[in-house]
Amino acid sequence: MTQFPWRRALRRVLSMLGTLLGVAVLVFIMLRAIPGSQITAGLGTEAAALTPDQRAALEAYYGIDKPLVVQFFNWLGNVLTGNLGFSSRAQTSVLNLTLGALPVTFELAVLSILLALLIGIPLGMLSASKPDSARDGLGQLVGLAGLSVPSFLLATVLMSWLSAKFAFNPNGEAYATLFEDPVRNLRQMLLPSLVLGFGIAAPIMRTTRTALLEVRSQDFVRTARAKGVGSRRLQVRHILGNALVPIVTMTGLQFGYLLGGAVVVEQIFSLPGIGRQVLIGIQGKEYAVVQSTVLIIALSFVLVNLATDLLYRIIDPRVRAE
Amino acid sequence: MSVDIVETTEPTPVKAGVRLRLLLHSRTGMVGLVIVAVLLLVALAQAVGLVGYDPLVQAPAVRLQGPSGAHWFGTDQFGRDVFSRVAAGVVNTARISLVAVAVATVIGTALGVIAGFYLKGTDAVISGATNILFAFPPLLLALSLASVMERNWFTVAVAIAIVYVPIFIRVARGPVMSLREIEYVRAAVSTGQSRMAIMLRHVLPNITSIVIVQVSLSLSWAVLTEASLSFLGLGTPPPAPSLGSMIYEARTLMYVAPSTMIAPGVVMVLLVVGLNLLGDGLRDVFDPRKRGT
Amino acid sequence: MTRGSRAQRGTLSVISLGLAVAMAASGCSSSTATGGSSTAASPKVGGNLVVGITTDPDNLFPWKATQFQAVNVLQTLYGTLTEFDKDLNVVPGLAESWTVSSDGLTVTMKLRTGVKFADGTTFGSEDVKFSLDKIKDKATAAVAASSLASVKSVDATDANTVTLHLSAPDAGLLANLAVINMAILPSESTEQSLKTTPDGTGPFVMKERKASQSITLARNDAYWGPKANLDTLEFRIIPDETSIVSAMQSNNVQLAILNDPLVAKTAQGGSLTVTKTAQLSYHVLQLNASRSVLADVNVRLAIQCAVDRQQVLDTAALGEGEVTGPITSPAYKSDPSSRPCPKRDLAKAADYLAKAGKSDGVTIKTIVSQGEYATSVAEAQNLKAQLAEAKITLDLEVLASDPYVNKWIAGDFDAAVALNGGRPDPDGMYGRYFTSTGNLNKVAGYHSADLDALFAQGKQTSDPTARKGIYTKVSDNLEANAPWIWLFTGFTYTASSSKVSGFTPMANGSVQYLRTTSLS
Repeated sequence: MTQFPWRRALRRVLSMLGTLLGVAVLVFIMLRAIPGSQITAGLGTEAAALTPDQRAALEAYYGIDKPLVVQFFNWLGNVLTGNLGFSSRAQTSVLNLTLGALPVTFELAVLSILLALLIGIPLGMLSASKPDSARDGLGQLVGLAGLSVPSFLLATVLMSWLSAKFAFNPNGEAYATLFEDPVRNLRQMLLPSLVLGFGIAAPIMRTTRTALLEVRSQDFVRTARAKGVGSRRLQVRHILGNALVPIVTMTGLQFGYLLGGAVVVEQIFSLPGIGRQVLIGIQGKEYAVVQSTVLIIALSFVLVNLATDLLYRIIDPRVRAE
Repeated sequence: MSVDIVETTEPTPVKAGVRLRLLLHSRTGMVGLVIVAVLLLVALAQAVGLVGYDPLVQAPAVRLQGPSGAHWFGTDQFGRDVFSRVAAGVVNTARISLVAVAVATVIGTALGVIAGFYLKGTDAVISGATNILFAFPPLLLALSLASVMERNWFTVAVAIAIVYVPIFIRVARGPVMSLREIEYVRAAVSTGQSRMAIMLRHVLPNITSIVIVQVSLSLSWAVLTEASLSFLGLGTPPPAPSLGSMIYEARTLMYVAPSTMIAPGVVMVLLVVGLNLLGDGLRDVFDPRKRGT
Repeated sequence: MTRGSRAQRGTLSVISLGLAVAMAASGCSSSTATGGSSTAASPKVGGNLVVGITTDPDNLFPWKATQFQAVNVLQTLYGTLTEFDKDLNVVPGLAESWTVSSDGLTVTMKLRTGVKFADGTTFGSEDVKFSLDKIKDKATAAVAASSLASVKSVDATDANTVTLHLSAPDAGLLANLAVINMAILPSESTEQSLKTTPDGTGPFVMKERKASQSITLARNDAYWGPKANLDTLEFRIIPDETSIVSAMQSNNVQLAILNDPLVAKTAQGGSLTVTKTAQLSYHVLQLNASRSVLADVNVRLAIQCAVDRQQVLDTAALGEGEVTGPITSPAYKSDPSSRPCPKRDLAKAADYLAKAGKSDGVTIKTIVSQGEYATSVAEAQNLKAQLAEAKITLDLEVLASDPYVNKWIAGDFDAAVALNGGRPDPDGMYGRYFTSTGNLNKVAGYHSADLDALFAQGKQTSDPTARKGIYTKVSDNLEANAPWIWLFTGFTYTASSSKVSGFTPMANGSVQYLRTTSLS
C-alpha cells in the first residue's frame, strides 16, 4: 500500500479553511448589506418612535455600535473558541439551537437521498437496459416530472389534500426527535423527504442512465463479455460498479445542497431544521445566529465533499489501482 | 433546489451541419423544440397585438370571470386578461432565464477557461471563489441581492446567474486543463502566439459542446428558480407578469378563480418540459459520450 | 418566508364592525358563533389547547414586544392596571377602581389585593410605581413610554393605593394603561431574567419553551380572577397559514387566528368553525406632505378625489372589509362619507390639479412592501391604475420587508402603501402622528396648529360625548387636508375546532379570552 499522502491532505485542509473563511467574510458583508438592524426587526415600524439616545442604547445592547471590522473579528474570535453567539429571540446559545436543528436537517437529507436513490437508480437501470424503448420512455417521463414540478407546489398540494381528505397530517403534531419518539419522527419525515426525494431522483436517474450507457460501451465490458462473464453478474458487478463514480458525485452534490437548501420544505412542513434557523435569523436580523449557522452549513457542505472524494478512492477501480 | 452538473470529459469538435441534422432526428429534441416554439410564437403574437389585450390594463367590472370567448383564460382580480398576462409572462420568464443563463455562461466559462489555462495563482483565486459560492446557501445569496438591488426582471436574472456562475466555472475548467496538454495547443504556445489568441482560437471551440450541454440543462432550471424566488416574495415585481409570480399571486385565488392559477401553472410546466426535452435533444447532439450509442 | 400572510381575499359577506359572526358553512355546520359572554352551561375544566401561530415570538419582555405573536403570548402571562372588555371599553384590571380629581391632574388607583406574581411574591403598589417609573425612563427604551408623557410622578400612597400626578389632564391615559406594553412587572425584576423566565400576574404561567417549535403555558392557580379552564395552553409554531389549517383538519391544532381570508375559506366546513372580526388597523396610502409636489394641499386633494376606495377594496381584498375614514374604533368611528370626495370624482380631481398648477399631471414615488401583509402589492397596483386616469403617476417601488420598514421609519418616501395598527382611543392612535411634537410626526409628514389644538383639547376632555365631538373635528380636519388617503379596514379570522368554546376574538387582535376558553 502507498504511504499516506501528507502533502495532499494538508493542501486539502488549507483549501477547506480558506473556503470557510471566505464564506464567513461573505455572509458578514451580505447581512450588513440588507437594510435594517435587530432594532428595526424587533420593533418594526415602532422603531420610528425611538429617540437618538434610545437608539444608541439599543445599538450598544445588541453590539452593533462598534466598527464593522471589530464586529467581524469579535465574532470570528468567539467562533474559534467555540462560542457561536447568543440568540436573544430564543434566549439560548446558537450552539444549542444548532444542536437541535442540525440533526433534523441531516436526518431529512439522509432520508431524502435514500428515497431518491431507491427511486432514481432502478429507474435509471430500467431506462438504460433498453435505450429508446417504451420502458426508457417511462423512466425518462418520471425523471422529467421530477425535474419539472416545483417542490413548493408539490408540498402544499400534498399536505392540503391528505389532511383535508384523510385527516392525515403528522406534521401538525409537535415535532419529536428520533430519540424521543422514533415512530412519530419517521411519520413526520415521510412527506417532506418524499417531496425532496422525488425532486432529487430525477438527476440521479439521469446520471445513472447516462453512466450505465457509457460504461457499457467501454472496452473492459466487452472483454468481460467475451470472457463469458454472466449477464446478471456483468450488470451488477462490472457495469453498475463502474458507473458508481458519477452517481456518487451527483449524490454528494445533492446531499450538500440539501443541508442548506431545504428551507421551503422545512417551512411548509414545520420542521425545525437548520434552513429555518437561517431564515428566522435573517428575519430577526440576529447577525450572530445567521453568520454562525451559515458557517456550520458551509462546514457540513465541505465535509460532505471531502467524504465524496474519499469514497471515490474506495469505489473507483482506476483510482484504487494506482 | 437541485442542480445538475455535466461531468467533464475530453472534448471533440463536430461540424454544425451534422449537429442540426442530429437534432432534427432526435425525437425528444423535436418535441421539445415544437413545445417551446409554439409557446413563444403565441406569446409573440400577443406582444405585437395580434391576440389578447394589454396585460396591465385593469377592468374591475369584469374581474374574476371564468374562461370565455372574450377572455380565453378568464380574468384576474383586477379584471386583467389572464391569457394576455400568461403570454406576457412567458416572454418575461423566457427573457429572465435566457439572460440569467447567458450571463452565467459568459462569466463562468471565461473564468473557467482562464483558471484552467493559467493554473497556479489565478486558478487558486478563481477556484477558491468558486468553492466559497458553492458552499454558500443560495437562499441567503438571493435574499440579500433582492434587498440590496432595486428589483426588476434584470436583477432577478442576475441573482439567478450568480448562483449558476460557479457551476459553469467548474464545467469549463476541467476540460481546459486536459486541453493544455494536447500537442497542438503546446505547439501554439511554443510558437509564441498570445495566450488570448490561443484561448480563443484553440481552447474555446473545443469546449463549446460541453458548455452547450450545461446551458441546455440550466434553462429549465432557471425557470423553476424564478418560480421559487417568487414563492419567497423575491421574484419579478408587479405589475409586470412572470409565470412564477402569477402562480404565486394566484395561489390563494385557487378556489375563487381557478383559471388564474391553472393557466400560468400549466404553461410553466409545459415550458419547463419543453426546455428539458430540447435540452435532452441538444445533449444527445453535443455530448461526445452520447454519440455512437 | 411567510412573515405575514400574503394572500388575496375571498368573497365573503360583509358584516358590521365589532361583531363576530360565524360564516355559515353552506348549512352543514351546526356550530354557532363562540362568545365569551355566552357561558350557558358551566364549561369543562381541564384539557390541553393547542393554538397555531406562524412565527416564533421574538421578544418575551412585555415593555419591548411589538410583534403580534409575542404580544399574544404575553397577554396570557401578564396583567395590566386597566383592561379592555370585548367591546374595547376600559374595565378594571389590577386596579380595582380609580378616581380622577376634578381638575383632572390626579388619578388615584385602588389596587386589587391578594394578587400574586408567578414566582409567588405578592403584588402591591411598589410594583406599580417601579413599573411606571421604568417605562417612563428613557434608558429602558419601552415602546409605550410616550403614553405616559402626561404623568409627572407616581406615588405608592400605601400598600394598595397608587397616585398618578399629571402635568395636564389626559383622558386617554386609562386606555393606554390597558395595553400589554404597560404590563406591571415585579419590582427589582430585570429584563434579562424576565426574557427567560416570565413572571407576571396573568391567567397562565410559563411551563416550557422550545425555540422555533412551541411555547407551553400552564393554568395559574393563583390568578386573581376566574381561573382558566384549560390545564395547558400550547402556542405551536407552524410557519404557513395553509399548514395551520391542515393541522386543524387533522385535529392537532384546535384554535388559530388567520389573516388570509382565502385560507380561512378553505378552513371552514367539516368540523371547523371560522368567525371573522373587524379590525382597528387600517389600509392607507400615506402621503408625505413635507415633500415635493405633495406639499400642495390641492395635489393631495386631487389624489383623494381620484380614488374609488370601494374598487381598491374589491380588487385587492375581494371586498373583505369596509371603506373607512381615519378613526376606526367603534366609539369614535369616522363617517367615511364625510370627506371632500366621498365618491370618486375625476372632474374635481382635475380642478384640484389645475389649482395646484399641475394640469399636466404629477409623478409620485410610492413605496410598497412585499411580504409584510397580504394585500399591499394588489392595493398599489389598483391605486396606480386608478390614479393614472387622473394624470397622477404612481411610481411603484416594491421592496422586501426590511428595506421598506427602514424607509418608512425614516420618512424617506413621497407616498407609502401601508397597513397601520389602530387603537381603541383616537388620541393614542393619531396623537403621535399628527401633532407637531408626536414621535411619529416625521413619518406622517403633516401637522398644523389646528390639529395640535384639537388633540390637546381631546386629551383634557373626559366627557364621552364632548370627546367624540372633538375627534370628529380631528377626523374632518384630516380628510379636508388629505395628509393621507384612508382606504379600508379588514378582518381577522378565528378558526376553531368544534370542541373549543368560550373564546371571543377582539377588534384589537387580542387573545385575552383564552382565559375563558374551554375544551369539551
